[in-house]
Amino acid sequence: MASHPPSDGWIGASLKRKEDARFLYGHGKYIADVRMPGVQDVAFVRSQVANGRLRSVTKPEGGSANVFTLADLQPLTVLEAGPELPQHKLSPYPPLADERVRYVGQGIAACLAPTRAIAEDLADRVTVDIEQLPAVVDCVAAMQPGSPRVFDHWADNAYITSNVVEGSPQVLTSAPVRVRRQFRMNRQATVSLECRGVLAYWDHRTNELVVYLSTQGGHVKRIGLSRILGLPENQVRVIAPDVGGGFGGKNRLMPEDVAVAAIAMKVGHPVRWIEDRREHLIASVHARDHTYDLTLSADKDGTLLGVEGDIYIDAGAYALWPTGAFQEASMASRNLTGPYRIRHLNLKTYTVATNKAPMGPYRGVARPGACFAIERLVDEMARELGREPFDLRRQNIVTAAELPYDTAAGMRLDTGDYVEALDTARDMVDLAAIRKRQAEGEPDGRAIGVGFAFYTEQSGHGTAEFAKRKFRVIPGYESANARMLPDGSVIIHVGVQNHGQGHETSLAQIAAHELTIHPDRISIRYGDTATSPMGFGSFASRSIVFAGGAVAHSCRALVEKIRKIGAHLLQTDVANTRLQGGAVHGPSGKVDLAEIAFVANARQEQLPTGMAPLLEAVGTYEPTVSGGVFAYGTHAVVVAVDPDSGVVELLDYAVAEDCGTMINPLIVDGQVQGGIAQGIGTALYEEIPFDELGQPLATTFGDYMVPCAPEIPDVRLAHLVSPAHATEYGVKGLGEGGAIAPPAAIANAVADAFRDIGARFNETPLTPRRVSEAIDRARREKGAA
Amino acid sequence: MKITLTLNGSKVTHDVEPRETLADFVRDRCGLTATHLGCEHGACGACTVVLDGEVTRACLMLAVMCDGRTVETLEGFRNHPAMEVIRKHFHECHGLQCGFCTPGMLLMARDILARKPGCDADTVRYELSGQICRCTGYSGIVKSIVSAGQELAGKAPAKA
Amino acid sequence: MKSAPFDYVRPESVAEASALLAQDGVTTAAIAGGQSLIPMLSLRAAQADLLVDVSRLDELKAVRETPQALHIGALTTHAAIEDGKIPDPFNGLMRRVASTISYRAVRNHGTIGGSVALADPAADWPGCLMALGATVHIAGPGGTRQQPVVDFVKGLYETTLASGEIVIGFDVPRPTSPLCWGFAKVVRKSGAFANSIAIVVAPGKGGPITAVLSAAGPRPIALANAARALGNGAMSDDTLRTAIAADLKADLPGADAYEQRLHTATVLRAAREMQATS
Ligand SMILES: Cc1cc2nc3c(=O)[nH]c(=O)nc-3n(C[C@H](O)[C@H](O)[C@H](O)COP(=O)(O)OP(=O)(O)OC[C@H]3O[C@@H](n4cnc5c(N)ncnc54)[C@H](O)[C@@H]3O)c2cc1C
Ligand code: FES
Ligand code: FES
Repeated sequence: MASHPPSDGWIGASLKRKEDARFLYGHGKYIADVRMPGVQDVAFVRSQVANGRLRSVTKPEGGSANVFTLADLQPLTVLEAGPELPQHKLSPYPPLADERVRYVGQGIAACLAPTRAIAEDLADRVTVDIEQLPAVVDCVAAMQPGSPRVFDHWADNAYITSNVVEGSPQVLTSAPVRVRRQFRMNRQATVSLECRGVLAYWDHRTNELVVYLSTQGGHVKRIGLSRILGLPENQVRVIAPDVGGGFGGKNRLMPEDVAVAAIAMKVGHPVRWIEDRREHLIASVHARDHTYDLTLSADKDGTLLGVEGDIYIDAGAYALWPTGAFQEASMASRNLTGPYRIRHLNLKTYTVATNKAPMGPYRGVARPGACFAIERLVDEMARELGREPFDLRRQNIVTAAELPYDTAAGMRLDTGDYVEALDTARDMVDLAAIRKRQAEGEPDGRAIGVGFAFYTEQSGHGTAEFAKRKFRVIPGYESANARMLPDGSVIIHVGVQNHGQGHETSLAQIAAHELTIHPDRISIRYGDTATSPMGFGSFASRSIVFAGGAVAHSCRALVEKIRKIGAHLLQTDVANTRLQGGAVHGPSGKVDLAEIAFVANARQEQLPTGMAPLLEAVGTYEPTVSGGVFAYGTHAVVVAVDPDSGVVELLDYAVAEDCGTMINPLIVDGQVQGGIAQGIGTALYEEIPFDELGQPLATTFGDYMVPCAPEIPDVRLAHLVSPAHATEYGVKGLGEGGAIAPPAAIANAVADAFRDIGARFNETPLTPRRVSEAIDRARREKGAA
Repeated sequence: MKITLTLNGSKVTHDVEPRETLADFVRDRCGLTATHLGCEHGACGACTVVLDGEVTRACLMLAVMCDGRTVETLEGFRNHPAMEVIRKHFHECHGLQCGFCTPGMLLMARDILARKPGCDADTVRYELSGQICRCTGYSGIVKSIVSAGQELAGKAPAKA
Repeated sequence: MKSAPFDYVRPESVAEASALLAQDGVTTAAIAGGQSLIPMLSLRAAQADLLVDVSRLDELKAVRETPQALHIGALTTHAAIEDGKIPDPFNGLMRRVASTISYRAVRNHGTIGGSVALADPAADWPGCLMALGATVHIAGPGGTRQQPVVDFVKGLYETTLASGEIVIGFDVPRPTSPLCWGFAKVVRKSGAFANSIAIVVAPGKGGPITAVLSAAGPRPIALANAARALGNGAMSDDTLRTAIAADLKADLPGADAYEQRLHTATVLRAAREMQATS
């Protein structure tokens, strides 16, 4: 598939993706497509109770050699996980249950057979005896004295608590206007369309454990596997084939990964486990599950003063290695001031253990909850003050002149024009026209509402930020290894992982820009610890900032040497040369990169005296500012709500966003659109409810609603471009932003539709039942008043 | 049980277990891995294939039920003229990210455009119900299918 | 998510199929489109020793028109109905209902017979066929029998089908004059099983009205009060709401306040649609 060079360089070109062709012909190779002779499949026996003492596991007659319990996987070292803070309580998480099970779906035994179907037959024949204990299901109740404990030896169920106090708490308590609300963002799954999977075998030729893993970052997984299994890292090779989406769900070391690797070391053949959808919903990484009880204070003129209250994060039964879910609370509290001039904070956060699947990151990490809470509060405050919510937002938002702006919680908002993003989104949905339409009423009895939400998205944050968060592995840089081959084509190995983000294209564009050659001459490779330089993978909207920077730096190192060789061949001084159009130009002529590359690789006699051969450079990169650069945007939504059925229809969805310089606008749009669809899922559809025994109630796509095309509107996008100062080319990360604001914007729109009765929409997803019940409650309260 | 069917134009015969789905059959017995499994209970469309000319969820069909019938997977559409047009538009309109839903989307796109030639975006959206894409937010996919439909129907390309 | 093992046979005749299904000491199941049964087997939510594939039996494919009724073979797929491949004396009602069932690929194989035989409370056909006054034809070891769909569907996944019995098809009476109908359905997302389905039909202007509510209780419910109110020409929302409330109170006593609002809304919508076409 030919790509057409734009006239004005590669940065900013909507180049069609280089990776598309293989997927369009069905040649993508995902973990379940890896064919390995002699491979056997694993099916897990999983706990059916949320909390219990595992009394015994009885292996079936005739099958016991193929059933593995924890004892059969030894020796293993269970790793400490979560932040490296003394007050953080440890929750050792063995790959299969020891004497205790702590959530429905926890692995108890692994059954090995020639096919998955036969492995499931075997699993059905394993008998498990569990003494059921009371389950801890509600994270707020879990902090009450007398609550049952997830870990018997803990003093209470909190992994960790913290206080965030900024400014002066007295200002808050004495503020003229105070609005208190409770919010919930319920538990959900991450739902990459490809579930997780792992295939492992011992390679006798290289004398190493080879682990194919559907992961967002192989190097970090190798660190974990090597420590758990007691193997040196040069005997563990992690390969990520094509990865069918991750969104955070493939960015922790999971018990199945360890169990399969350990079994592969015991048996003489490849072993694999391919997660099925039910396992994914029950026992993969869960996300969100935030509860807020907050009070927003303001002056009578609408000046927002501060926020106080409690934030609960239901983190589930264990901390996943390396960092678990422990940035949720700090990010939720630190992002709670949003883009506003809010100077006073008095927050208490609780990260709580419950008998549910462990929580991990999911696109947007914590910020969808924080954005939901603050943006709903701003709307509720506007109502309290009798103001147009949009105007209150505009009054309090940080202006372009105030940037860079240090927020109360210590984040430095860098570049942009937040007011312009607000105004652009307002004009896109035509706020005035909607207000008029509302006044006229709808012929079908539905109510129309409009909602806004503003988000900021910290991205490209580095060493100091993660060190502050006490991460066990600090993803503070990325690296790239650029190699020019004898014909002048280029292979660049990077440490990030592409699972849909288009790195093979956008990173090639960066290299093409630096090397002044066509991106088709450049291959981006990743996903194999044997060949990629050390890196941390793709998450936290970091890849374009970090890997983009690393590619730029490695290419610049090549360029430096290329020019020296070119100058030598042109018999001129380096200072007289420039690289342009794939050639080094001097005063008397030019020499093509291909010629220079051939000299450097295969005709060393033509190199300047003393110069080492090869054109190869490893570049590492971290932005000049460690606190991150901030993409941002405004989401504006128009909804129609049927009060009886509670069904919400999205009539219009507009976004004005700014992610700095766009390397490839086509890919940027795709990331934003994809994020919004996931945000709409959080807002309206996706939820894993639990009953009081801790049983998850959404275990198939029959109950767990993933929005499809009819549920997602045609989102209109406007781009503002305020380059960052601290990054290469002025890029900002943008992978997560789309997912942050939809719950807030949609809930604000639904609330706007019923602002006359003050109905409260403070819990996601806004299912038809929740919506209708909120309206009914408000109507009854109003009737009673 | 021995079954014989026409798969991507060739007769294939295999001894299968009755419980084997058509999806496992094409993937594991026949090595055709463009057919993906996203849910195995009929709710995502990643496993879409064509059975006797009709789009079919390969996870909701037993291989034994396909004995004597005709099955096509994405691999069978290598040089298919309409599919080449659809592919081109998926490429141009950024209709894919991780690619996992893509084979199912392409086969569904072809089916939609065969039943409703040149249809508009709202129709495409509705017809895509039950095809999950977790990456794109569908807008690129809908655009791809609408513009492919226009090209196939000989209409001028739609404005964006 | 793989099914437990089972055996599979593809009999040549209804009699043979019926004999296979009626075997003692073996859990058997007929399989038609497989669109409900296969996922249940894969989830190991259903188990069978033997699947009897009825999907190629010609007797179950027959579609015939008589002056009194349309006979629809059990194997008729949702897609065939959606596409108008069978006659449509119902002014588009069945086509409309078919087009909202699940997803196209499922509709290509899912059958009307399988849908009614399974009697999923949230399924679309049982309520629709009840509203149309259809009769089910059944063949079994003891011969054939017929029964109104309204009596055939007994409850949650429960019908009068006895061991070895097979649904052959349905006789749906022709409306005496062009059918007026309304159809309203609330789903969590497109193609998902519904939370509420209302169908209101009347053969011709002023004809006797039938209103059926599905996906609300264990089986579809005929709404006698609402039908009567509509028959009396009730036009105001309030009158209709009162009638629907009486029906829900009588036939769906367990419905909570939200369910009452939800079902009332779908019945109202269907009624309004019906009135608009008459
Ligand atoms: C994702 C998904 C969503 C769906 N959504 C809906 C929906 O919204 N509304 C809806 O109505 N349906 C829905 N369905 C179900 C679909 O309509 C099925 O096609 C239908 O319920 C069963 O038809 P089948 O021919 O596939 O039956 P099968 O799966 O073959 O059989 C279903 C049951 O009926 C029995 N059976 C089948 N045929 C006969 C017969 N002739 N005689 C006696 N017993 C028989 C079988 O033994 C089995 O118990 C959905 C299915 C899926 C996978
Ligand atoms: S895998 Fe078949 S529909 Fe999801
Ligand atoms: S591109 Fe990833 S699921 Fe569609």
